[in-house]
Amino acid sequence: MRPARQFIVSLALLLAAGSAGAQARDGDAVSYRDAYRAMVVFEKYGGPKNLLVSQLQVLPRERGALAEGLQLLLSGKTTQLSLPLDPLGRTVFPLQKAAYDENAVLSLSRKGGFTMRPQVSIAVRPDGMYDVADLRAACTQALAFLRYVDASQRARQCAAVRFVFVKRAEGGARLRRPDVPEQVLPLTTGDADEGFPAVIWRFGTGAERGQVVTFNAPLAILPIFD
Amino acid sequence: MNKFLPFVLGAGALAASLAGGAARAQTPAVNPMPDGSRDMYVGLGVQSAPRYEGTGSRKVSALPVLQVEWSNGVFISGMSAGMHLSNSPTVEYGPLLALKPGRDATGSGREIGGFGFVGSLPIAGENLRTAPSGLGGMDEIGARLQAGGFYNLYLSPQWRLTSSLLAGAGRDHDGARLELGVQRLALAAGERHRVSLSAGLGIVNRQYNATYFGVTEEEARRSRFSAYAPGGGVQDIQLGARWHWTLTPSWMLTSNLQAKRLLGDARHSPLAERPTNLTVSTAIAYRF
Repeated sequence: MRPARQFIVSLALLLAAGSAGAQARDGDAVSYRDAYRAMVVFEKYGGPKNLLVSQLQVLPRERGALAEGLQLLLSGKTTQLSLPLDPLGRTVFPLQKAAYDENAVLSLSRKGGFTMRPQVSIAVRPDGMYDVADLRAACTQALAFLRYVDASQRARQCAAVRFVFVKRAEGGARLRRPDVPEQVLPLTTGDADEGFPAVIWRFGTGAERGQVVTFNAPLAILPIFD
Repeated sequence: MNKFLPFVLGAGALAASLAGGAARAQTPAVNPMPDGSRDMYVGLGVQSAPRYEGTGSRKVSALPVLQVEWSNGVFISGMSAGMHLSNSPTVEYGPLLALKPGRDATGSGREIGGFGFVGSLPIAGENLRTAPSGLGGMDEIGARLQAGGFYNLYLSPQWRLTSSLLAGAGRDHDGARLELGVQRLALAAGERHRVSLSAGLGIVNRQYNATYFGVTEEEARRSRFSAYAPGGGVQDIQLGARWHWTLTPSWMLTSNLQAKRLLGDARHSPLAERPTNLTVSTAIAYRF
């Protein structure tokens, strides 16, 4: 899991480097402008990104807070929005000029400290079928974006993708290849920080044909770089 | 100028490429805000600094704060102004204007300066109080408008190399100064605290050194200093630390400590009574 975490951390540091208000103490709020500055980077990125999605990830200090319907609140003079968070704490970040101009703030629906970071992941397909070539292409897009924002990551290579599921009972995937019987991919216990079960598909060295088919829609698909 | 660099760099830390489209064609890729928007800080602080470069005499001054950044890339940071032109988040460059404070018999006179925050909050100020110093008999040097540019390179989001070149300072407006530096950004030091560290080197031409560290024959006759004609070269090295404390999303406190050591001909100037000096400041600012 370490490479994946490094990737996420790299993106998270963008927020930290440019905005000191990315962290909040109990009951406090975070500047919408600082979050906007972090999130607009992907929006303005001109490289291929059609296989990716960008979301803001909220990390509450209180463990388990996300499981209780926590929401991110955007509050400005004329702007009031409640942004639902998925089990990973992610939400689509609204890039709003009005909220920026009003110097709006972001806070949680319940008191509690939290941090925020941008997260770029691979788009989830409604049919649950992922060509291996598409997964590699998506990982390549994510790597290109990472290299775009962080010159120190140029030596990294795509290694795998990680399908994260909400529950172990709903998780799992199988691999379909031509002329080979279907293979069920093992479900891991998940990242220590997130605690969600996951399936990891590692890229081979040569040309790959086949599909990864998930049993249910994953919560997220994250690229892993070596 | 060294104090200005953090803004130039910080503003581009979250830069991205142009999204495309004719409507945005004139918007720099580094634009980190909606088209037509701006980000502004206004505040007040206090600064303790040498009365002039090289002296051991210090002064404490009030320090008004101002920074404005527009979506088209233009920015004002204290008494500096410039524009971001880069299309890459890892490279920054653009034109730069800066006002160098004058120097009179009381020292640096009504100095106007600026310094940066962790992230992107430089401030500038005007000294409101001056006191006698040891420059009696020296020519007054007026404030100078300097023009040039900046070029910065991010090694990673946390590390960046910085450079700027400004010309127009000095007695005859022909002094030039090149600044090279390296910065470590945004070290977390608690929930709402960020610290950045920097190291830099200043290189000047002969005219620059002659103005601010030289003593003409005429000045030597009028003052307590002996005549001195410095050449160009490395003028100083600097180490700095900035602490940025976010009190609320709109209020922040920034503190800066900078040590500068004179080198080369500047170090040997009769005006350089103390080769190493500290500048300390703190300011509170509101974000509009």
